[in-house]
Amino acid sequence: MAQIPNSQEVYDVIVVGSGAGGGTATRVLTSKGMKVALLEAGPMLDPFKEFLEHKMPADYDHRGAEEGGASYFGKGKPFGFFSTTSGGWQLEGEPYTVGEGSKFEWFRSRIVGGRTNHYGRMSFRFSDFDFKPYTRDGLGFDWPISYEDISPYYDKAEEFIGVCGSIEGIRSAPDGKFHTPPPPKVHETLIKKSCDKLGIPCIPNRRAVITKSINGRAPCHYCGQCGRGCQTASAYSSSQVEIFPAMKTGLVKVFDNAMVREVLSNGNGKVNGVLYVDKRTREHRVIRGKAVILAASACESARILLNSKSKEFPNGLANGSGLVGRYLMDTVGFGLSGYVPALEGMPHYDTEGYGGAHLYMPWWDWEKHNKLDFPRGYHIEIGGGYGMPGVGSYHGAARTYGYGKDMKQNIRQRYGAAVGFSGRGEMIPNALSYTEIDPTVVDQWGIPVLKFHFKWSDHEWRQARHMERTFTQIIEGMGGKVLGLNNAQRESGGISVPGTIIHEVGTVKMGLNAKNSVLNGFTQAHEVKNLFVVDGGSFVSNPDKNPTLTINALSWRACDYLSEEMRKGNV
Amino acid sequence: MSNLLNIAPASPDGRPGRRELIKAVAFAVVATGGLVEDVEAAQHVHAEAVSAQKATGIYTAKEMSAAEFKTLGKLAELIVPADDVSGSALDAGAPAFIDLLCSQNKQLATTYHGGLAWLDAEMNRKFSKSFVNATVEQQTAMLDLLVEADKSERARMDESAVVKKSDFRDFSDYTFKQPHPQAAGAKFFDWVRKMTVDAFYTSPIGIKDLGFMGNGAYSKYEVPKQSLDYAMKRSPFA
Ligand SMILES: Cc1cc2nc3c(=O)[nH]c(=O)nc-3n(C[C@H](O)[C@H](O)[C@H](O)COP(=O)(O)OP(=O)(O)OC[C@H]3O[C@@H](n4cnc5c(N)ncnc54)[C@H](O)[C@@H]3O)c2cc1C
Ligand code: SF4
Repeated sequence: MAQIPNSQEVYDVIVVGSGAGGGTATRVLTSKGMKVALLEAGPMLDPFKEFLEHKMPADYDHRGAEEGGASYFGKGKPFGFFSTTSGGWQLEGEPYTVGEGSKFEWFRSRIVGGRTNHYGRMSFRFSDFDFKPYTRDGLGFDWPISYEDISPYYDKAEEFIGVCGSIEGIRSAPDGKFHTPPPPKVHETLIKKSCDKLGIPCIPNRRAVITKSINGRAPCHYCGQCGRGCQTASAYSSSQVEIFPAMKTGLVKVFDNAMVREVLSNGNGKVNGVLYVDKRTREHRVIRGKAVILAASACESARILLNSKSKEFPNGLANGSGLVGRYLMDTVGFGLSGYVPALEGMPHYDTEGYGGAHLYMPWWDWEKHNKLDFPRGYHIEIGGGYGMPGVGSYHGAARTYGYGKDMKQNIRQRYGAAVGFSGRGEMIPNALSYTEIDPTVVDQWGIPVLKFHFKWSDHEWRQARHMERTFTQIIEGMGGKVLGLNNAQRESGGISVPGTIIHEVGTVKMGLNAKNSVLNGFTQAHEVKNLFVVDGGSFVSNPDKNPTLTINALSWRACDYLSEEMRKGNV
Repeated sequence: MSNLLNIAPASPDGRPGRRELIKAVAFAVVATGGLVEDVEAAQHVHAEAVSAQKATGIYTAKEMSAAEFKTLGKLAELIVPADDVSGSALDAGAPAFIDLLCSQNKQLATTYHGGLAWLDAEMNRKFSKSFVNATVEQQTAMLDLLVEADKSERARMDESAVVKKSDFRDFSDYTFKQPHPQAAGAKFFDWVRKMTVDAFYTSPIGIKDLGFMGNGAYSKYEVPKQSLDYAMKRSPFA
């Protein structure tokens, strides 16, 4: 097929993907006066059409069950009709495959803002020891950077996107630049008391939500609907907080519905553009730039590199080490819920708050791993409160209580009296968990797709059992009774199905040299000086902390470095 | 500059009124450079979003016959009946909800047409009356039977799933449980029950019944002391 050059324009930087990594890159680069082409596989976002923040189920005749009751047949939107997912575990026409004996589920969003339009906004800094895990216990790899390198960028990222939190002085959860957090809810106060008895720290949560106005964004109005997208941009999304303001500078051109297929190299060790499919016309088009930043999300960036084969890079771009696709990680997940009689009959109040739990528990036993049977930590996320009733909320109760006045009374009485705990733990990278190109399948754009391989090791299994014991203790400590798994479908095996915590990182690892890694500490490709990868692909380990804040910080740092190198004429 | 923190509470419970919310959001839209930059447009969009529940006019069934629709109504009244706290699932529009989704989905429609016909046939066999014409005692006797059938069918499925999962290939000494005599109606009952419950709890009546108070807009988030005191007193931490 003919490849149509888009225009004669040569951009300073081409950014591929508009999520956390790409949004941050776009804003930082344009703030320095650079001309950016932002390519996004999904359409442009209109928050006022797509964010269903203030809707109630009864505003729709289908009440959220979707047309024809699709949600009853498992065919509704992945986190319910009201979520702003713009994608899901499967995308029509864009398959992926999974190797025999493996399980992996890949959550993708296709829209300007990527998954940040609706993500959980949990924003935790990695700790100093998280960057040197190998030094600590001989497992996995050390990062080529340290906490001191990234800490100024955590500051910048937190100040710019806005994160609530409190100063605690806990080593596993370094403090940051925080907005005032909202107070704990009643069930959270009970949970904290139970944790106090067990010696588990339970502190104000850290979420990318603002409680005072910054950059013209209104503070949170506590509707509790962040997963539906926040129309006032009080919760961070790369679209509203970074990309729309960057568009106002006139320095960025957004190409939406642009599915990047390959990065093009000039034959002299550098890249000079990208080749993409214009989804509207199915034409192949080329855009030229002086540097290329991939931010298509961890595995997708690996896919682009592996598909960018040339004479110079026969194994895929920047893949001399053969490590592109290797060391894929997700977070270890396990959840239990419990019933707490103390909460029964409590005078109701609005428990939605700022759209997530107001407390959480950072890892507490980092000095005791020699006494534990697993090497790395986890943090605990909390659920509970009087949630918005939705389609499916009471199917279980109906099956338990039958029908009639009894059922109605039981549902009423138990409403809001359950709590949930989700462990989010560190996985150690292993050789059996990786992704590669499936040579037998292409997607509807003709692009070869990814095939996933994944194995949890005993480290992760044992950690999940520790979670189970801990959650049971917390629930019983508050006079509660364990109800069962939080997520029966995805954690029935006693550990989350790989990929389903949606913290997939790694596959384009950073490191000290071109032999043991793809990127250097600035996320610059060792082999190609004007190529960067600023999504979670660069991660060397996957500490229990949710990855997005670190993606924001690393992307910012990469862009500072890139612009300086360009100024010096090194790139 | 106006922002949400400056909103004067427009109602006694401290919630800003709709007007204030719309104003505040329109301000934020302009400030954040959202795609809707025109204040008027933003107000309009948001006014739509926070619009009160639409007036429910009389619903005309699209998929069900008049008799079927009436049976769904009776079932709704029995599954989630009115009590001294709130109205019934019929009041909450359950039959309309079910009929609408059936009209969009053949598979679902078949479940309901077949299930409702089965129900009347079974009622006739047992009581010589259709479901709607039977006495409340007869109707609840049938529903009790269906609850039992649903539970027993579920247990049977679980057991056979265990057998299937294991490498156990020799079925000779394993006797599968017999299906429940009302097994055919059990699946339908589960459908009508779950959709009726959904219709009720997602309606303004059901939301009020439970006392869900979220999805509002406040300038400050507070936890009432009386709720905290209540739970603390009943907890092991009293
Ligand atoms: C429900 C949910 C809850 C979550 N909660 C949290 C949380 O609380 N805290 C946290 O830290 N993380 C959370 N995450 C994870 C978080 O969303 C991701 O870590 C983050 O969005 C990753 O940013 P990214 O820029 O790497 O990728 P994404 O946000 O996925 O953005 C990538 C973008 O690139 C585009 N793209 C992909 N391929 C191409 C291509 N070939 N050409 C052009 N464009 C392309 C995609 O369309 C997409 O818009 C959550 C995720 C989900 C789904
Ligand atoms: S709770 Fe706050 S941050 Fe979340 S959607 Fe509502 S206003 Fe936005």
